[in-house]
Amino acid sequence: MKVLLSWLKDYIDINETPERIADALNMSGLEVEEIIQPGKNLNNVVVGKILSRDPHPDAEKLSLCSVDVNRGQPLQIVCGANNMKAGDKVPVALIGARLPSGFEISKAKIRGIESSGMMCSKRELGISEEHGGLYILDENAEIGQNIVNALSLDDVIFEISITPNRGDALSHLGIARELSAIFNLPLHRDPLGDEDGEGHVAEQVTVEIQDKDLCPRYGARLVHNVKVGPSPDWLKERLEKAGIRSINNVVDVTNYIMLDIGHPMHAFDYAKLAGKKIVVRPAGKDERIATLDNAERSLDSSMLVIADAEKPVAVAGVMGGLHSSVTDDTTSVLLEAAFFDPTSVRKTSKRLALMSDSSYRFERGTNIDNVPIALNEAARLLKQIAGGNPVKGIADAYPKPEVLRQIKVRTRRVNRVIGINLSPVQIETLLLRLKLDTRRDGEDLIVSVPPYRHDLSIEADIIEEVARMYGYNNIPTTLPAITSVLQLPTPLQKMEKRLRDHFVSCGFNEIMTYSFIPAAIDECFREKKPLMLQNPLSEDLSAMRTSLKWGMFDALKRNILNDEFNLRLFEIGKAFHPAAGGLSEEHSRLCIGFSGSADPKDWRRSAETFDLFSVKGLIQNIADLLKVKVRYAPGSCSVFHPAVQMELMVGKIPAGEFGQLHPNLLDNKKMPKCIFIAEIDLDKLATAIEDAGRMKPIPELPAVRRDLALLAPTAVAHRDILKILTTEGKQLLEDCYLFDVYQGKGIPENCRSLAFALSFRDPKKTLTDEEIQPMISRMVSRLDSELAVKLR
Amino acid sequence: MSDSHEQLLKQYLSEKAKAATTADLEGLRVKYLGKKGEVTELLKGLGKLSIEERKAAGAAINDLKTQIQSSLEESMRELALKEQEARLSAEKPDHSLPGTWPTAGSLHPVVQVAKEVADIFLSMGFFMAEGPEIEDEYYNFEALNVPSHHPARDMQDTFYLESGQVLRTQTSPVQIRTMEALQPPLKMIGLGKVFRKDSDITHSPMFNQMEGLVVGENISMADLKGTLVMFVENMFGKRPYRFRPSFFPFTEPSAEMDIQCIFCEGKGCKVCKGTGWMEVLGCGMVNPKVFEAVKYDTEKYTGFAFGMGIDRIAMLRYGINDIRLLFSSDVRFLRQF
Repeated sequence: MKVLLSWLKDYIDINETPERIADALNMSGLEVEEIIQPGKNLNNVVVGKILSRDPHPDAEKLSLCSVDVNRGQPLQIVCGANNMKAGDKVPVALIGARLPSGFEISKAKIRGIESSGMMCSKRELGISEEHGGLYILDENAEIGQNIVNALSLDDVIFEISITPNRGDALSHLGIARELSAIFNLPLHRDPLGDEDGEGHVAEQVTVEIQDKDLCPRYGARLVHNVKVGPSPDWLKERLEKAGIRSINNVVDVTNYIMLDIGHPMHAFDYAKLAGKKIVVRPAGKDERIATLDNAERSLDSSMLVIADAEKPVAVAGVMGGLHSSVTDDTTSVLLEAAFFDPTSVRKTSKRLALMSDSSYRFERGTNIDNVPIALNEAARLLKQIAGGNPVKGIADAYPKPEVLRQIKVRTRRVNRVIGINLSPVQIETLLLRLKLDTRRDGEDLIVSVPPYRHDLSIEADIIEEVARMYGYNNIPTTLPAITSVLQLPTPLQKMEKRLRDHFVSCGFNEIMTYSFIPAAIDECFREKKPLMLQNPLSEDLSAMRTSLKWGMFDALKRNILNDEFNLRLFEIGKAFHPAAGGLSEEHSRLCIGFSGSADPKDWRRSAETFDLFSVKGLIQNIADLLKVKVRYAPGSCSVFHPAVQMELMVGKIPAGEFGQLHPNLLDNKKMPKCIFIAEIDLDKLATAIEDAGRMKPIPELPAVRRDLALLAPTAVAHRDILKILTTEGKQLLEDCYLFDVYQGKGIPENCRSLAFALSFRDPKKTLTDEEIQPMISRMVSRLDSELAVKLR
Repeated sequence: MSDSHEQLLKQYLSEKAKAATTADLEGLRVKYLGKKGEVTELLKGLGKLSIEERKAAGAAINDLKTQIQSSLEESMRELALKEQEARLSAEKPDHSLPGTWPTAGSLHPVVQVAKEVADIFLSMGFFMAEGPEIEDEYYNFEALNVPSHHPARDMQDTFYLESGQVLRTQTSPVQIRTMEALQPPLKMIGLGKVFRKDSDITHSPMFNQMEGLVVGENISMADLKGTLVMFVENMFGKRPYRFRPSFFPFTEPSAEMDIQCIFCEGKGCKVCKGTGWMEVLGCGMVNPKVFEAVKYDTEKYTGFAFGMGIDRIAMLRYGINDIRLLFSSDVRFLRQF
C-alpha cells in the first residue's frame, strides 16, 4: 500500500525524516518496502510554454519548438513527441538537468539542428509509467516554475506491506494512528462532513438487510444534482501518488475515502435503482450480474449481494454492477458504506476469482463505526467538488450493533510471556498510546478494543501490543531454563547421515530434485499410480514421484547433454504412494546414478567404465557399512535392461533394485550405453540393521592358502562353484574368494577361467598338507562331476 | 713414527683424497689392510726383528694400521651417505604430476547449510524431529490457528492433492506432531522440504525450512531472543541484530529477526535493498490457540517457535543468485561445494 507523507500530515504533525518514519514503522510491524521521493532526483526541470511548433526540416517525425521557460530568450528544442501544440505548457528539462533514469541533458544537435533541452513525458519525470507523449500541464501552471513545486512532487511515498492481521492499518488514518502511538503524538483531523442536507433520505430510499450476520450494518446516503466530471488536481494527485487511477469525481471520492479512513465505498446511479430500494440478501440460485470490470458472473446462494427491488446491483464488498454504475449522465448518486462479514467477502471473492481493493479491506476487517463517517465525508466532498446537493440524513440499517470487546489482561502473564517486569500502570500507559482504553481489576487490566482492531481478541494479542510499544529490542536476552525431553536420532536419521558422508567420500555429488515430476513420463518409471496435484504450477510439476528413478534419470541425462559424461550422483528423499482412504504414504529412498567411469582423471590407467558389478559392489559396501545382511535376486524392473539388473533383498523382502538403463530409454545420441541407476528403500534397510555383535579373537595360528584355477563352461554360475567349495571346505575354509575371471586366448570357446583363493585355518592346530589335500580333491571331483568344471 | 711409516701414511692419505666412491675406498682398504696389503706386509716383516725391536716396531705399525683403519671407516661413512643421497634423489618423480586418488564428491549446499544450522541447535540441547511432506490441512493450517477462509492463507499459496491433502507449506506441522507425541519441557528443531505455488529466481515451488520450538514453564520472549541471538552469532558471526514485530497466525507476539547485512556490513547494498539489514528468520511466542489444539495447559506452559528458509541462507552464504540452480542437479554447480 502506498502512503503519502503529505496525506499523513492531515492527521498528525510529524516532522521526522522519511528514513526515521520508515524505521519506526518497520520496528512497529508495518514493513516499509520502499521510500519513494518522486521529486528527489528532479533538478533543473521547469514549466515551459510552447510558443511555436514547426516541422524539423530534415526529419519528418521530429518537431522544432520554441519554448518559453522564463529565462531570457525562448529555447529551441527538437522533440519527437506528437501530442503538443503551440500554447501548451509542458515540463522542460534544462541543460544540465538529470532525470530519474540517470539521463543527463546536454546541448545536442539532432539531425543538424541545435536542441537546448528536453520536453518530458510522465515516465521521463519518473512519476508514472505513462509514456504516450509529453506531459501536458495545467494551463495555469506558472512558466519557469520548478516542476517539483508545480506538481507537488516534493512528497514522500511509503510503500508499506501490511500483514493480514492489520486491516486497521490499510489507510492513511490507520498509519497515522500507528505513528501517533509510536511517536506519542496527538492524532487530529479537520471536521468531517455532517448529515445536513435537503429533504429526507427515508423518503427517497429504503435499506433492508436480510442477513444481519453477513451484513450487520449498511448505510446509504443520497446526493442529487451531481455533475460527473474530472476531479480537481489535488484529488487526482493524491490518488495517483497512492497508485489509483482517477476515473471521475464520484468514483474518485469513494476511492479517496477508502485510502483516507480505510472504508471501502460504492456509488450507485440512483436513477438506475429499481424501486429506490436497497436489499442486502443472499444471491438467488442462478442469478447473474455484470460487474464493473465488464464480466458476466454467475452467483450462488453462498454469496451476499446488494440488490434493488428487482435484481442484484453489486456483489457485496467485492464489486459493483455495471448497470447501476455512475456514468457521465448520472445526476443522483447513492453512496454506500457498509460492514460485511470478512469471511463471507473472502469466500465470495475466491469463488468469483475476483479481488478488489474493497474485498481486500473487507476480508481483513473494517471499522463498523466508520459507516456514517464515510458517508458524510463523501457527501461533503461531492458537494464541494461536484456541485452535489446531499439529502439530509443516512439510511442506516444497523440490526446487529457491535459489542465492544473486553479482554482481561493479567500483569503477571504479560511479564511472564515477555520476560520483563512492568507495573499495571506502565502497561496501561503503553496501551493508551494505541487508543486501547483500560480499566483496572486489582493487579490486572480490562482492555476495551476499538472496533477497528479485529486482530485483538485474546490476552496474547494484547501482550503483543504491550511488547510492540515497549519495543522488542528493549526486551532482555536470556536462555531457556529448561532441559528438553531426550529424543535420540532415529535409526533412519542416523543411517541417512552415515550414507551421505559415505557417498561423498566415494565421490558422489548429492542432488535434490523436485518431489513432483511431469505427469507424462515413461510408464516404466512409475511404481504406482501417482498422487496428482489439483493445482500444479505446470504439467511438468504435477505428479508426486512414486520413485526417485525418474529424477535421477533426468539429472543424469541433463548433465550428459552438457557434456558431463562421468557422473556419480545420489539423492536421499521421499517417494509418495497412494494409501487406503485416498491418503498417501511416504517412503524414504536412496537413489544412485552412474555414468562413464569412476576415475577419468587417473593418468596411470585407462579408465574403466562403470558396470553392473561396480554398482553391486557399492551396494554391498553400503550393506556392510550399515550392518545389514542383503541378498541379490534376479530383477524385473522395466527401467532396466532385462538381463543386466538385480533385485536387492533384505531377508525375504525386496528392498530395492539396480541395473543398466534400458536401451529404449537412451533417447539422445549423446547418452552412453552404460548408465546405471540403483534405488534402495531405506525404511526397509533401517529395520534390518544388526547389532555389531561381539569381537572374535585374533587367530594365533597361521592360515594355509591354496589357489584353484578352474576352467568352467560359461553357463556355470560363480555362485554354484562357490557353493561346492564352501560345502566341502566345511569349518576349516575360513575365506574363499574369486580373484580372476578370464575368457579369450588359450581358453576354449564357451568356457571361462575362474581363479579362487582359498584360505584354511584351524584355530586349535597348524594345518598340514595332508589335512587339506583330501578336501581339495573332493572339491575338484565334485566340480567336475556336477558342473563339468575342470582344474586348469 | 719411522720415516717409512710416515711415507706410507702420506701416500695413503693422498690416495684417499682422490677416492670418490665407496668402491675406491674398498680398494684402498685392500691395498693397505688386506691380506697382502702394505701394512699387513709390514706386520709380517716383524718376525725378522728381535724381540725388543719387535715390540717397539709392532706398536708403531699397529698405530699406523689403526689410523688408516679409522680414517677409512670415517670416509666410508661419509661417502656411503653421499652415495645414498645421490641414489635417492635420482628416484625423484615429476612432482607436478596430479594425484590419482578418486575425487571426493559433495553434499548438496542446502544439506550442508542445514547441517550447520542444526548443529548449533543440537549443541544447545534441541532434538531433531521430522514429519511428512504431504500433510492434512489440519496439521498445516487449522492446528496452527489458520482457519480456512482466513486471509493468512494468502501468505502461502498452497498445492492441493486430489485427496484434499496439501503439500506442507511450512515445517510448522512438525511442531504439532511433536507436541501431540511428547509432553513439555521440550526443545525441538524440524527440517524438511516445503512447497508453495511460486516460481522465479528467488522462489522455488519446493524449498527447505528449519523449524524450532521450545515449550516449558516460564519460557519468555527474552528466552526467544537469547536463543536466536546465540544461533545468529554462531551462524553469521557477532553482528548487530534487531527484532521487528510481524504476524504469523501460530505465534503471538510474532517477530522477524534481521541481522546486519553480511555483504555491506550495514552500509546498504543490492542484496539488502539498501536497508543494511537482512531478514533471517520469523519467530514468536506460541499462540495459546496452538497449545489448545495439542491439549497443552496454556496456563502452565509458554513457548516460542521460529522458522527459517535454509535455501535462502545457502544462497546468501555462497552468493547463489538463482534458487532454481539448487534443484538443477547440474554437476558444474554441485561440484563447487
